[in-house]
Amino acid sequence: MSGAGTLERDAGRPGLNGPGTVGLGLRLAVNGGREAVTRLVILAVAVGLGVGLLLTAVAATNAVTAWNNRHAWFWTGTQQAAPGPATARGGQQSAPLWWHPTSDIYDGQTISRFDVAATGASSPVPPGLSHDPAPGTYYASPALAALLRSVPADQLADRYPGHLAGIIGDAALPSPSSLVIVVGRTPAQLATAVGSVKVTAIATTMPNGGGGNGAISSARNGPRQRSQANFNPNGLRYTPADIGIPASGSDLILSVVALAILLPVLIFIGTATRLSAARREERFAAMRLVGATRTQVSALATVESTAAAVAGVAAGFAVFSGLRIPVAGIPFVAQPFFPGELTLSLFDVIVVAVGVPAAAAVAARLALRRVNISPLGVTRRVTPKPPGAWRVVPLLLGLAELGFWAGHGHPASIQGQIQAFVTSFALIITGLFIAGPWLTMAAARLMARRTSRPGTLIAARRIGDDPRAAFRSVSGLVLALLVTTVATIAIATQDAKNPTRFGNVAESHVLTAQISASSAAAENGGLGARSGIANPGPAAPAAPLAARLSAVPGVQGVLVVRAVPGLTIPGRFENLGVNEFGVNADGSGPPVPAGVVSCAQLATVPALGRCPAGAATAKFPADGFNGPLGFNSKVDTYTWPAADVPAAGLPALGVDGIDMATNGATATVERARTLLEASVYPTVSPPSSYADIAARDNSQNSGYQQLANVVIGVSLVIAGCTLAAGIAAGLAERKRPFSLLRLTGARLSTLRGVVALEGAVPLLTVAVVAIGTGFGAAAMYATEAQNRPMAAPGLAYYLLTAGGIIVSLAIIAATFPILTRITGPETARND
Amino acid sequence: MTPGHSAAGRSAANLRVTGHGPGAPGKFIEAVDLSLSFGSTPALRGASLGVAKGEIVAVMGPSGSGKSTLLHCLAGILVPSSGEVHFNGMRLDRLSDDKRSALRRDRFGFVFQSGQLVPELTAEENVALPLLLSGMRRGPAMAAARTWFPTLGLDGLESRRSGELSGGQAQRVALARGLVAGPEVLFADEPTGALDSVSGELVMNLLVTAAREQGTTVVLVTHDARVAAYADREVVVRDGTVSTLTGAKP
Repeated sequence: MSGAGTLERDAGRPGLNGPGTVGLGLRLAVNGGREAVTRLVILAVAVGLGVGLLLTAVAATNAVTAWNNRHAWFWTGTQQAAPGPATARGGQQSAPLWWHPTSDIYDGQTISRFDVAATGASSPVPPGLSHDPAPGTYYASPALAALLRSVPADQLADRYPGHLAGIIGDAALPSPSSLVIVVGRTPAQLATAVGSVKVTAIATTMPNGGGGNGAISSARNGPRQRSQANFNPNGLRYTPADIGIPASGSDLILSVVALAILLPVLIFIGTATRLSAARREERFAAMRLVGATRTQVSALATVESTAAAVAGVAAGFAVFSGLRIPVAGIPFVAQPFFPGELTLSLFDVIVVAVGVPAAAAVAARLALRRVNISPLGVTRRVTPKPPGAWRVVPLLLGLAELGFWAGHGHPASIQGQIQAFVTSFALIITGLFIAGPWLTMAAARLMARRTSRPGTLIAARRIGDDPRAAFRSVSGLVLALLVTTVATIAIATQDAKNPTRFGNVAESHVLTAQISASSAAAENGGLGARSGIANPGPAAPAAPLAARLSAVPGVQGVLVVRAVPGLTIPGRFENLGVNEFGVNADGSGPPVPAGVVSCAQLATVPALGRCPAGAATAKFPADGFNGPLGFNSKVDTYTWPAADVPAAGLPALGVDGIDMATNGATATVERARTLLEASVYPTVSPPSSYADIAARDNSQNSGYQQLANVVIGVSLVIAGCTLAAGIAAGLAERKRPFSLLRLTGARLSTLRGVVALEGAVPLLTVAVVAIGTGFGAAAMYATEAQNRPMAAPGLAYYLLTAGGIIVSLAIIAATFPILTRITGPETARND
Repeated sequence: MTPGHSAAGRSAANLRVTGHGPGAPGKFIEAVDLSLSFGSTPALRGASLGVAKGEIVAVMGPSGSGKSTLLHCLAGILVPSSGEVHFNGMRLDRLSDDKRSALRRDRFGFVFQSGQLVPELTAEENVALPLLLSGMRRGPAMAAARTWFPTLGLDGLESRRSGELSGGQAQRVALARGLVAGPEVLFADEPTGALDSVSGELVMNLLVTAAREQGTTVVLVTHDARVAAYADREVVVRDGTVSTLTGAKP
C-alpha cells in the first residue's frame, strides 16, 4: 500500500524544478568526477583568457581616449581652442595669462614647452601645477626632469631660462614619458614675443577633430587640408607638436588587434566545449532514459556552461588585472599609458560580467540543438557536408584584382589606390576564411590518396572528414599573422625609408633652424610650427652665432640663409605627385620664396647643393622644411642659381634660417640645437633634422611593432592551445581504435605522428599561407604606396614567429602523454 | 567456407578435465606458470597453456577469470610478473617493448570484439593498415587488402567508413585486417561478442576457414560455447589458472 501510494505521489510530482535543475547542474559540473572538473577548468581558463583580453582591449580603448583628452590643454590659446570665459570662478574678472606655446626636440623626442606669465593672482594655472611658475623658474614633467638631470646642461638645460622649481603633476600629462615644461616669464617678456597670446582659461576639451592630423605626418609631407573648426579667430595659428592620434585611428587599430587576438580565443573556447562532449551527451541520454525532459537536459547543459563562464569571467578579471601594467607599458601610441588609465567603466564591467555568461548559456542551448539526445542515446542531427568548390571564388577574385593592379599599374589618384588595395586585401582575407575549409579538404584528400605512411593517412582522413573544424581551429591565425606580417614589413620598409626619405644620410643630419617664414601662406609644420612670422631675424648676431656653432665638435659646416623680401626661385618638387599643387612631370612647379647664401658657407654643407662655378652668392630656398627642401630628394646634386648680392653685402641682410651640417651624433646635434634656441633668434619651429622626424616616426612605428609582436605571440600560443584541445577531444573519441592499433604492434611513434600531423599540418599550412599572403600584400603595398622596394622584417619578427610556432607545436606535443595513457592495454579489455 | 566441424557435433560428455598444464603437443606458443596482478587484484595465478602450430584453441571462462589477460600475455601485450612465455622457441616475455611490438606487427594478427576500426579510414584502408604499418607501399598494400573483400563477402564496401558498416560487416573487415599480413598467430578476443548469432556464425566460419587455409595458429578468447566449438581444443580459465578440457574431436 505504501508502495502504491509512493508511486501515485511520484506520478503527480511536477519534476525537477528550476532551483533543483541549477543545483543538479552545478553538482554535475563541479562534482561530476575528474573529467567533468577538467572540462570545467579548461572551459573556465579559455573563457578567462578571452574575457581578460577583451577587458584589456576595452580598457586600452578607454586609455587611448583618456590619453588623447589629456592633450586638451596643449591647445590653449590656439585658433582651434575656445577662448575661455572672461570671468574666473566666483564671478571675478580673470587676470589673463600670457601664453606662449612652442615645441622642442631632444634626441628625436618631442618636448612640449609653454612659457607663461601670470598677470594676477586669478590668472589661470595649467593642470598639474598648483600655481603659475614665477619668472626665472620652470616646472618639468618627471620624464623631462630626469632627462635634465641626466644630460649635460649645454645639450638641454641651457635652453630654458631659470631653474627647475618643481615637477608637473600626472594630471597634466598624457603619458609617464611625456616631456613637458612650463617656463615662468614676466608679462613684459611675453608681450613682445612673437607667438604669444593672452588667455583667460586653460583649454579642457579637445577641439573638434583635434586628434591629430598634424603630429602623425611629417612637415615634409606637403600642405594638408585642415578640417578643424576655427572658432577662435583671435587665437594663435599654432598646432601643438604633441596632439595625440585620431580616435578613429586608434579605435581601428585596437579593433583589429582585439579581433586578431579574440578570434583565436573564441575558437579556443569553442574547441574547449568539445572536450568530453561525447561523455557529457551520453550522460544526458542516460538522464533522458530515467525520465528527464528535453527542457531539463537543456537547462542542465546551460547551467554547466554558465558555471564555467562565470568562473571564466572571474578569471578574466584576474587576467585583466595581471595584464594591466604590462599592457600600459606597450607604447603603441608612441608613448606608454599610465596604468591607472587602463580602467573599465561600470558599464563595461556590467556588460562583460552579465553578457559573457548569458552568451555562454545561449551558446550551450544552440550547441545542444545540433544533437538529438534521446533516451536510447545520442545521434548527430547534421552530418557535415563537404565544402563546395565555390568557396575559392572570393579568394580568386581578390588575387585577380591584385594581379590586375599589378599588371596594369595602380590607379593614379591616392583615393583610387586606397580603394584598390582595400578591396583587394579585403577580398583576399575574406576569401582565405571562406576558402579555408575547401582548401583544407582538398589538401587532406590529396595527402590521403598519395601517402603510404599510416600516420599520415589517418591524420589526412581525420582532417578531410571535417575540414571546417580542422580549419576553424587555426583560422584565427589567418587574420593575426596576415595583418601583423603586413604591418611589420610596412614598418620595416618605412624605417628603412625614413632616414633617407627625401635625401641621403648626410642631408638627414642637417640641422635646420628657420628663423622666420618668408611666406605667410606657409602652413604649420608638425613639430610645433607656427606661421605668419614675416619678419626676418636681426642681421648682426648671425656671424658670432655661426662661429660658435662651427666650434661645436661634430658640426661640419654652417649656412646662414639671408632674407631678401620678394625674391623667388623656380620651385622643384620631385617628391610631390604630378598635378598636385601645380607640380609638373619633371618636378618643376610654382616659384617659391628664396633667400641668399654665401657660396663659401654652402660649400661647407654639401648636402644642400652647390653654387654655380665662380659665383660668390646664390639664391637658396627659404622656409626650411616648409619650402622646396621638403619636397626634393636629391638636393645635394642641385646647383642653385647665382644671386646678384655681393658676399660682402650678406652680413647686412636679415636672417631667414640657419642650416648646419652635422655628424648626426646626439651630443653634437643637441649642443647645436641648445645654442640656437638660447640665441636671440626666435625660431618658427625647433631646429630639427630629417633624422628627428624619422626618429619620431620610428618611435610611433616601434609602438605598432610591439603591438604586432604581442598579436603574433598571443595568437600563435592560443592557436596551439586550441589545437591541443581539439586533439585531446579527438583522442578521447578514438581512444579504443588507437589503443587496439597500439596493441596490434603499431608503434607509439606512429600514433604520435598522427597527433602531430593533425595539429601541425593545419598550423603550419595556415601560418605559411597567411605569412606568404602577408609578404605578397606587403610587397605590393611597399612598391605602390611606399614607393620603395619592400624591406625584409627584422630578425625579431622571424624569431618571434618561429618561437610562437615552436611553442604552439610544444603545446600540441603536450598531448602525447594523453596518447600514451589512453592507449594502454586496459582499454582493449573486454572482460 | 565452413568450419571443419560443427558445434552440434560435440557434446560436453566428450570433454574431460585433465588438470593444469600446457597440455598440447608442439608448443608453438607456450605460457608457463604465468602470474600477473592489476594492483591488488590477481588476474593470473600460475596459468600455463601450450598451443601447437596451426592449432585453433579456444580460451573460455567467465567474465573476470583472466582469459583476456592470458591472451595479452601470449601476444606480448602484457608482460607477466612471473612465469615464461615462449613463441616459436623465443622467450617472449624477455623481449623489449619495441621487439614485442614488432613481433605483434609482423607475425601476429588480432581481432577484437568491437571498436577496432579507425573511424576516419575506409574499410579498404583499415584492412591495409597492418601492411602500411610494416612499411609496405600504398599501392601493393591496398591491392592486397582488396583481395580479402570478395573472400569475406564484403564486395562493394571497400570505400565505406566504419560508421557505414553493420556490426557483422565491420567485424569481417576487422578479420581481414587481422589476416591480411599472413600472421603466424591470430589472437581473437571475443570476436563475435558484439554480434547476433547469425553474424557471429558467419564471422567464425570465415575466421576458421581462412586460418586453416593459411595455416595460421589461432588463440580465441570467448565465453560462448558455440564459438568455442569451432576450435580444435578448448581450455577454461578460472580464477587465473587454466584447466585444459580435452575432448574427442571428430
